[in-house]
Amino acid sequence: MLSYNFKYELKQLLRARWIQLLSVVLLVLFGFSAFNGIQKVEKRKLDIAAAQEEVKENDAMMLKLLDSVERGLEVSVPRWTIPSSPMAVGNYHPRVAAMEPQPMAFIATGQADLFTHYVKPTVYGDDFSLNFTEMTSPVQLLFGSFDLAFVVVFLLPLLIIAFSYNVLSSEKESGSLRLLAAQPIGIQNWVLQKLGLRFFWLAVLVIIALTLVFLVLGINPFTQARVYFGLLGLVLTYMLFWFALAFLVNLWVGSSAKNAVALLGLWVVFVLLVPSVLNQFGNTLYPMPSRTLMINEMRSLKAEVTERQDEILDNYLRDHPEFALNDTTQQRGFWHRYMASQKLIKEELSPVVNGYEEQLQRQQDWIGRFKWISPAIIAQESLNQIAGTATKDYEGFRKQVVNFSGTWREHFMPFLYNNQDFSQADYDALPRFTYQKETALQFGGLGILLVVSLVLFATGIFGYKKLSGAGILDQA
Amino acid sequence: MIITDNLTKKYGEHTALDHLNLNVNAGEIYCLLGANGAGKTTTINLLLGFIEPTSGSAFINQLNVKDDAKATKRFLAYIPENLMLYPGLTAVENLDYFSGIAGKKFGNNQLKTFLEEAGLQADAFGNRISTFSKGMRQKVGIAIALAKEAKVLLLDEPTSGLDPKASNEFGLLLQQLRSKGVATLMATHDLFRAKEVGSHIGIMKDGQLKQQFVAEDISLSELEQAYLNTMDYKELAS
Repeated sequence: MLSYNFKYELKQLLRARWIQLLSVVLLVLFGFSAFNGIQKVEKRKLDIAAAQEEVKENDAMMLKLLDSVERGLEVSVPRWTIPSSPMAVGNYHPRVAAMEPQPMAFIATGQADLFTHYVKPTVYGDDFSLNFTEMTSPVQLLFGSFDLAFVVVFLLPLLIIAFSYNVLSSEKESGSLRLLAAQPIGIQNWVLQKLGLRFFWLAVLVIIALTLVFLVLGINPFTQARVYFGLLGLVLTYMLFWFALAFLVNLWVGSSAKNAVALLGLWVVFVLLVPSVLNQFGNTLYPMPSRTLMINEMRSLKAEVTERQDEILDNYLRDHPEFALNDTTQQRGFWHRYMASQKLIKEELSPVVNGYEEQLQRQQDWIGRFKWISPAIIAQESLNQIAGTATKDYEGFRKQVVNFSGTWREHFMPFLYNNQDFSQADYDALPRFTYQKETALQFGGLGILLVVSLVLFATGIFGYKKLSGAGILDQA
Repeated sequence: MIITDNLTKKYGEHTALDHLNLNVNAGEIYCLLGANGAGKTTTINLLLGFIEPTSGSAFINQLNVKDDAKATKRFLAYIPENLMLYPGLTAVENLDYFSGIAGKKFGNNQLKTFLEEAGLQADAFGNRISTFSKGMRQKVGIAIALAKEAKVLLLDEPTSGLDPKASNEFGLLLQQLRSKGVATLMATHDLFRAKEVGSHIGIMKDGQLKQQFVAEDISLSELEQAYLNTMDYKELAS
């Protein structure tokens, strides 16, 4: 039966205009969304490149100024910006801490439209650590980005529904089911095979579309085999889940109209409702601490610390005898006090900042615990992970930047407390930031989807007769 | 070949079929006559396993339909009133598909031979079913029966809506199948066709088999009288 079903279902599909149209729509959607994703990645790369170019120009200017200063020439810039002062370098010549897009970033915008991709930590102020978000259009946030992930997670199920909602009901409605049911075949197997062919057809289209996207982008699927096959596996497994649902609906629901409504209802539940309910519950159970309160707390702490700067500096120097002054002609100024107080501020603020991070982690754990309820969450998370735009990636970037800012600050401490000038010779030793992607590709979500899909298929195959309890016309 | 033993189907309080006992042997054509709702189609649906009996049993080729529904379908062919084939496929493709899923594999020439035997014009073999008349579709149905080498043929008002020529051709095809030893059960309203092709005739009313005849033993007018009397159409009976 299998070979005949495949042969003639394929013939009918190829002869049906609406299938041809749906196939073209699918290819166009993949192409357009990939193009859209690439545009975003390109913009991100250009932004980072522009920031780095600015730093390069700034550095050239700094080296010229240093050269003039070292040769004893007078320079026409404000005194506090002369780069022989280490704090001027730390403040006015920061490095770019950029999160370069991953090779697959075009697949999913993920958190990319919410977070900034580069910052310039300075020795003064720490607002950058709180200011990782970008201004984004609320309309865009509402509808999301039209990227490959959007096509896969939101639109592909709709195409699958259009492909599969009436496999059995159309036979009932046209009258051909009676002739089919008079053949020595199991109707559930017959439906399964028909859906199998439609899955096969869509899978071929998806594989062609994704491979074309890779080739057009100059990515060799075989050098990126893990990502390429992982992505294909994920998309095909997600499709399999929707076909499994269509299988059950075809068996148990009645007319084509009812099937369509049932499947669209399931789409709303799994793609829209469950993710938003889980998110809502996460926010209610683990509310994020107020950002305003955190900033207020930070400011009042800074004000308090400012009043005690002399005492703090004394304590700091007690802990760092290597910075003790033997030269009585020199004295401690603003920067000495400020930098000494930073360590204290960091320590005092850590419970507030940690509380914020811990609560965010709890929210993510909560969603992680229940994400299997919605295949859309699993698919979206996995695609974000492949693209390197998942929440964890941005959290990793933020932590790396905070660490780098510490390194940047620490680099200038010996200069500052030893009252040593910054020179051209010190330029090459300036710390540089390189983003390291910390999250490894994991395809655990794919396994969950596969198991859920197989359970649904098994329910249809073994439960159909048991649950329907009678012949095909009794339950029709 | 076809046996029903006190076959009964109830829908709630309504009895659609009431203790039907029937026996159709190889090479016999049993015509079930009756008004709408008499239980003819219910009988065929039960023999096909489309619905489950409330009590009693049905047997095809000595296999219980309820226990071996799939196996019984290897031996039978079914032609409903409106035989709906796949409109996007040709006659040859439809025949290949339906015989194929029934486990019979044939080459293109063999398939065409079956269609020829069923009386379909050769120039229609490669045409899509969407262009076929009802009579032509019924011929493809007969070709499916031939290809399946069916021992039992179940027909549910197959000549309804056919023009006299097509109806006559269909009758001749049934006679051919009869000569090959096929047991046929045909539900019909058509007394004339029943008398012409049937070897046995039964009249049903309210789910019960009221009368049975050997077709040779009864004239068409006697059959008509018996039918009208059974149906309580007193004013029409002479």
